Amino acid sequence: METAYAQALWKMVEGGMTPSKAVHALHGVLKANGREVLLPRIAKAFARIAERETKRTDVVLTVAREKDERYAHKEVKEILAGMGVETKDLKTEVDDTLIGGWRLEGRERLVDASYKNQLLELFNRATA
Amino acid sequence: MDSSTIEKIIKEIGNIAPAHEGEHVGRVVAVGDGVVAIDGLSKAVMSEVLIFEEGKGKKLAGAMEDQAELLGLVLNLEEDGVRATILGDTSRVSEGMTVKSTGKILSVPSSEEFLGRVVNALGEPIDGKGPFKKTTLMPIERQAAGVIDRKSVSVPLATGTKAIDAMIPIGRGQRELIIGDRGTGKTTVAIDAIINQKYEPEETRPICIYVAIGQKESKTARISQQLREQGAMEYTIIVDAPASAPAALQYLAPFAGVAIGEYFMDKGRDVLIVYDDLSKQAVAYRQLSLLLRRPPGREAYPGDVFYLHSRLLERACRLSEEKGGGSITALPIIETQEGDVSGYIPTNVISITDGQMFLVTDLFNKGIKPAIDVGISVSRVGSAAQTKAMKGVAGGIKLELAQFRELEAFMQFASDLDKATADRIESGRRMVEVLKQKNGAPIPLEKQVAALYAAGKAFFINAPVNKVTEVEKQYIDFLDGQYSKTLAAIKKTGQLSDDTKAELNKAMEEFKLAHAELFSVGK
Repeated sequence: METAYAQALWKMVEGGMTPSKAVHALHGVLKANGREVLLPRIAKAFARIAERETKRTDVVLTVAREKDERYAHKEVKEILAGMGVETKDLKTEVDDTLIGGWRLEGRERLVDASYKNQLLELFNRATA
Repeated sequence: MDSSTIEKIIKEIGNIAPAHEGEHVGRVVAVGDGVVAIDGLSKAVMSEVLIFEEGKGKKLAGAMEDQAELLGLVLNLEEDGVRATILGDTSRVSEGMTVKSTGKILSVPSSEEFLGRVVNALGEPIDGKGPFKKTTLMPIERQAAGVIDRKSVSVPLATGTKAIDAMIPIGRGQRELIIGDRGTGKTTVAIDAIINQKYEPEETRPICIYVAIGQKESKTARISQQLREQGAMEYTIIVDAPASAPAALQYLAPFAGVAIGEYFMDKGRDVLIVYDDLSKQAVAYRQLSLLLRRPPGREAYPGDVFYLHSRLLERACRLSEEKGGGSITALPIIETQEGDVSGYIPTNVISITDGQMFLVTDLFNKGIKPAIDVGISVSRVGSAAQTKAMKGVAGGIKLELAQFRELEAFMQFASDLDKATADRIESGRRMVEVLKQKNGAPIPLEKQVAALYAAGKAFFINAPVNKVTEVEKQYIDFLDGQYSKTLAAIKKTGQLSDDTKAELNKAMEEFKLAHAELFSVGK
């Protein structure tokens, strides 16, 4: 129940309504239906939706070593442009299990150009 | 490392292009009881296969040691993501895991190599006999053949059970439900039908598929062993989704079975498929649907549980000659509770199928096996496929048995009976004995015809009731030895000509003379 209200609140704000107006409108509906008690739970559900949305829009570039970062940035520039993401919005992480190369993940897209992935593919094809 | 492996590796290195092609992915946000909620994957489609990425954060060596790819199946498309079921071990999935879309609808492999093998609901071998070499992928969900592509049912499918072949005949392409309480011999009837196909000529012998859903592994192992011992496994495939398998696999198993069957049907072959049993599949589907938060309906089943079975059973059909003339005959099994056939799932499947055979606990307990209640069992299309020979001898049996059942009840209250009634009762008692059959011993059609012809001619009336089965067996053995040409003629022509009838009459007389001690009643 609270998730549905939180989603409605999210949509209202996304639709252009000011946050205070949206919250007041929701409060009015809850009051009319005798459901004001749900408000704290709606706030928590709203926070969860916000966290999820942030994760959804995040784009993470993972490299094997810090020194690979510049090279990887160059490589993904075109892909980022296609995704409508600017380089400054890119989060960078280091994961030494990648061995080399890079891995770009976010906005429902994954481009894995890591050495680990290529070696794994090679292993899977050779042993299939 | 041998040279072929080295060559393979070098070739593969050459094939690898810089991996800049993106994949469509989502992220696991919740997981439990075989169902995952995935954020993203907005382009996913229903029944699409997903791959869970388990290697993230693992060292290369660890990732290489991982088991086979963990797959998921999209079952719900929602506003913010999808809900999918895990086709494997749920404990391998964790929150935050990346899930890749494959763009492929779930398919199972199929080929001639499957004959004699036991596979799981994904078509993977589980009998320890190694992987399949060459297979064709068949989609799990496929639109059933349309009206134009179908042909009416006209070729008989002999089950080897006298009561069925005589009174509830089944045709190739038919769907005949086997329904009854637990322990009434439903599986036995179906397995006998599979075993009986060994008497069919190889070119017209149906490929048999036994789909075990939610069964004990010991039971499936026993069935597999029985089929092997009887020489029936060479044309049979077992699809096993045991009680210990996830609900998703139990739900998928019948679809996997029919997909494997369609491979053979498309090649013009006949297929006999047994779903043992669809009640358990419905229960697995209910579990999945509740976990997927679909609204529950009657008995907590989802609203589309009818469609679950109708779309499965619609795939059983007989194709037209233009489409190769293949067929799939389905024998779904439904388990009832306390003989209640008015339950939700039983009524659904009764209305979908082309007839049903009821197995009754009372008859089973009286020692009448198969415990088929012929009064309420029916085959809606099979009579068109019955051979003339069987039609000729089976015509009056159903009526005779119905009259006998009525008189049998009456007999308990009346001690003095007129001769006509007493004769009818005696004849009925013997007919019941003739229709009795042992487990795992199907009888070829020509022998059934001979036995029923004899019963119709009051051959057994002078035999004691408790000896009828024995007399019948000896008579059939006698025919096998002395009148094999007559039996062969019935088998070949499927008809009971005047000459054949005369031969059978002669045989009966000869047998009676030779075995006078077996016919002691009334003398």
